[in-house]
Amino acid sequence: MPTAESSAHGRAPSPLGMAVDCRAVSFSYEEARSPICALRQVSFTLRPGGSLALLGASGSGKSTLLAVLRGLDETEAGVVLLDGMEPGGAAYEALRRQVGLVFQVPELQLFAMTARDDVAFGPRCLGWEEPAVGDAVEEAMTLAGLPPSEFAERHPYALSGGEQRRLALAGVLAMRPRLLLLDEPFVSLDPVTRRELVAILIRLRQRGVTLMLATHDIDLAWELCDELLLLEQGRVLAAGPWGFDAASARPLAGARLKEPFLVQLWRRLGRDPASAPRSAAEAAEALA
Amino acid sequence: MKATIAQYYPGDSPLHRLDPRAKFVAVSAIAIALFVRDSFASLAVFAAAVAVGCMISGIPARWFWRALRPLLWLVALTFLAQVVVAPGEPFFSVWFFDLSWRGLELAGFLSVRLAVLVLAGALLTLTTPPLALTDGLAALGRPLRRLRVPTDELALMVTIALRFIPTLIMELDTIMRAQRARGACFRSGGPVRRAKALVPVLIPLFVSSFRRADELALAMEARCYTPGVARTRLHPLHLGWADGALVAAAGAVIAVALLV
Repeated sequence: MPTAESSAHGRAPSPLGMAVDCRAVSFSYEEARSPICALRQVSFTLRPGGSLALLGASGSGKSTLLAVLRGLDETEAGVVLLDGMEPGGAAYEALRRQVGLVFQVPELQLFAMTARDDVAFGPRCLGWEEPAVGDAVEEAMTLAGLPPSEFAERHPYALSGGEQRRLALAGVLAMRPRLLLLDEPFVSLDPVTRRELVAILIRLRQRGVTLMLATHDIDLAWELCDELLLLEQGRVLAAGPWGFDAASARPLAGARLKEPFLVQLWRRLGRDPASAPRSAAEAAEALA
Repeated sequence: MKATIAQYYPGDSPLHRLDPRAKFVAVSAIAIALFVRDSFASLAVFAAAVAVGCMISGIPARWFWRALRPLLWLVALTFLAQVVVAPGEPFFSVWFFDLSWRGLELAGFLSVRLAVLVLAGALLTLTTPPLALTDGLAALGRPLRRLRVPTDELALMVTIALRFIPTLIMELDTIMRAQRARGACFRSGGPVRRAKALVPVLIPLFVSSFRRADELALAMEARCYTPGVARTRLHPLHLGWADGALVAAAGAVIAVALLV
């Protein structure tokens, strides 16, 4: 999925996934009496095509971090390197536009008269030519599990809750993000819709898109992500690949989280937790 | 983003502790009396009284300045209009502006009067939580129930509207950010383009507001809200000696201002 923008600017085609290098980023919200510190010296790296779960209690700074990565909020201190590039300059802004951010309850943002127009909003804002927009919409809707032949002309508000959520996701995918940020994507979805969304995210990861998702669901985080970033009151408690010793269990407990169910199961079975399966299907295979 | 309507500054000054009914009566009496006499002496009395009120409230001056700021252009316009149309011997003329001492005097007088009026209103809203204010208004309007005016329901409507202003502003902010993340731009282009750029923001905002209103109505019904039935209050309003003193002080200020 080469991006239209990079080819338009005549740069060499980069690998699909974007690399993120977040260095000592701080951010605080201005309030009437005193500023509220939302991020304090947050540092982490994510390789191209990597997947990272952003965990932490409500108010720990997950949403703020995603907004900062997308450039909706400017950092107060520290820098975010995208593909190793420092902020400032048109090339960095172009990279920022390749960061897709899916908001919590994104169906709030639907507004167009047809699903097709809504998905086309982003690409049109980017100034793409109409044929390219059409292609992007087609591809994004298919990827999000909403075949255009069936859904393109439907009114967004006539869709079911799960379909609206996927339509909003398609609206972001149509901009062909190389880094996809999702804020609590599984909130208020029924189990079936949740599995559909998981399947979509696995497909995106297989394509090489860098993924980062904020969630409270550690089992889905375990299934989808290779790495985790644990925040508490804006500070990093733990960052990097999943750990399985006592030292890595402590920060999890501090964030009121338990180890993923399948890791616990592997422990009880006396197996190596590091080789625990990621999904029910993998577990069945391993146990068979 | 911050709501700028009916802002409340939390505090514990004597003015904060007064009954909203007493404050409302005192402020409206002063607001009306302000317009009775056109003399600098009486205006000075009112200005002094409001200034004393501002000092007692213990609210930083910049909050009052914030209340005055939106009215600056109105003051400027009043000033300009007076300068243009006022009678008197011009001492300075540019184009069709005839500057006369009488005109300047009148313009200054009207501007100060407007500022005193706004400050008196700000003193009321800054020291009274919006909920207390609507409660007080409902209580004051109680006699109107005899005429079948649904005062309690109106008060509740105002309360709900005030309650949801910050919610709507937050939601507006979220939707704007979501659309910005999709590449929308709200700051560039001409007025038509900017107005069109608001469509992706306003439609979701309306849809979610209607849904919220529906849910709120259901939730209120589920909690047995029945219009027209007398309700009791968790914090009933109490008139004390201080409230009487405030109304008496306002009366005294008005009497002095009208007599000087």
